[in-house]
Amino acid sequence: MPRFIEYTVFFFAVVILQVFLFENLNLGIYIHPLVYISFIILLPMEMPAVWVLLLGLSTGMAMDATTGSGGLHTIATVATSFARPYLLPLVLGREEVKGGGIPLPARLGPGRFLRYAGMLVVLHCTVFFTFESLSWKYYHLTLLRVAASSVVTLVLLYIIQTAIPGSRDRSQNYR
Amino acid sequence: MNRLIDFIGKIYVPLLFIVIEIVALNYYASSTSYTRAKMLTASNHVTDGFHRYLSDIGDYFRLRSENDLLLEELAAVRNELEALRMAVPDHTAGQFDYTDGGEYSYMVASVINNSVTRQKNYLIIDKGERDGVRINMALVTPDHRIVGYVLDCSENFSVAISVLNRDFRTGAKATDDGYFGSLYWDGVSPDYVTLSEIHKNAVIAAGDTIVTGYSSIFPPDVLVGTVEDMHLTQSNYYEAKVKLSTSMTRLGKLFVVNYADIQERILLEEGLFD
Repeated sequence: MPRFIEYTVFFFAVVILQVFLFENLNLGIYIHPLVYISFIILLPMEMPAVWVLLLGLSTGMAMDATTGSGGLHTIATVATSFARPYLLPLVLGREEVKGGGIPLPARLGPGRFLRYAGMLVVLHCTVFFTFESLSWKYYHLTLLRVAASSVVTLVLLYIIQTAIPGSRDRSQNYR
Repeated sequence: MNRLIDFIGKIYVPLLFIVIEIVALNYYASSTSYTRAKMLTASNHVTDGFHRYLSDIGDYFRLRSENDLLLEELAAVRNELEALRMAVPDHTAGQFDYTDGGEYSYMVASVINNSVTRQKNYLIIDKGERDGVRINMALVTPDHRIVGYVLDCSENFSVAISVLNRDFRTGAKATDDGYFGSLYWDGVSPDYVTLSEIHKNAVIAAGDTIVTGYSSIFPPDVLVGTVEDMHLTQSNYYEAKVKLSTSMTRLGKLFVVNYADIQERILLEEGLFD
């Protein structure tokens, strides 16, 4: 598996960021950024679907264990990880995905990157907040939470990806 | 046979996905506040040190306001003591035996982790079994406002359910009226809770103060908040929207309340329902 150490570090970095920073920020009831999903979004494009799914399971379980959310993070992260291999060629085209590498804005262009990452972030937040509220009575408020949290998560994801080597270099092809 | 293996090879990822989701959903559906608190207590062994460090930084910035609060509280207690002295005739110092303690006793704890943005929010405090914290002890602010109660303890810390948790329930009433209702959070705003099932004969209006009562966990008259709005439900009970008096986003030091007769009360209640 390529870049094993880098991704292990990245995994711990996003989980720690989430648990110690974003779970404690208390930005109000509508903004609950779920930045740890960056790990799944930024996995190499050529990674087999089953690996993405299992890594999604690990990420979700790590989050559930540290935040006491009883399986909620796992439900959402596994759903997002499952959708990723289907969504990638739809948004980026089969050729690009076959080329492999990390799906970064430097490589895909900011527009395509935001479209790809945005869809996954919205999916993740939708599943997460729907299962969290488990009620139709306040679904308009749940939708508001999905919208606000998705936007904030996406902005944070864009900032986080700049920490990845190669994120600012357009010329190089990462694989 | 080969075609079967081919087929499974093609669909094993969706199959795996379905199996994982079923297990996760099942776990989520069967998890209660107590099982979640147990999980948090277990993982807190790893995360505790850093949470403590972060909360220490927060404590530093709250020192000034907490000091003011402390002095106000001290003044209030002094006044109450003076009033008691006046009320008890021929009182001389040392006449009362305090060693037995009252019905409720208090100890101080610091919040080391607290969330308000989720539907099921929990707090972690820095006192545990070793300090005498037990399950079902109430948490209130030093100025006697509602916060939550303890769900699980380990040696050095405890996990408590926040009033901002959709599983939270307790009894509460308006101060000038005898009718009780059931207090819960609807998960919408961290500033409001709901008091439901108030009898339709109750005399209750916007602006009334709501306090706890008839609870095996909270001492009576812990401040909840003020009624902002109310309406009669289809089942002929009043439902009141209560502005929470506690600012749950800015908790520092708390009181853990030990109700001396809690075990007796729990045994009695359990005996009734068995």
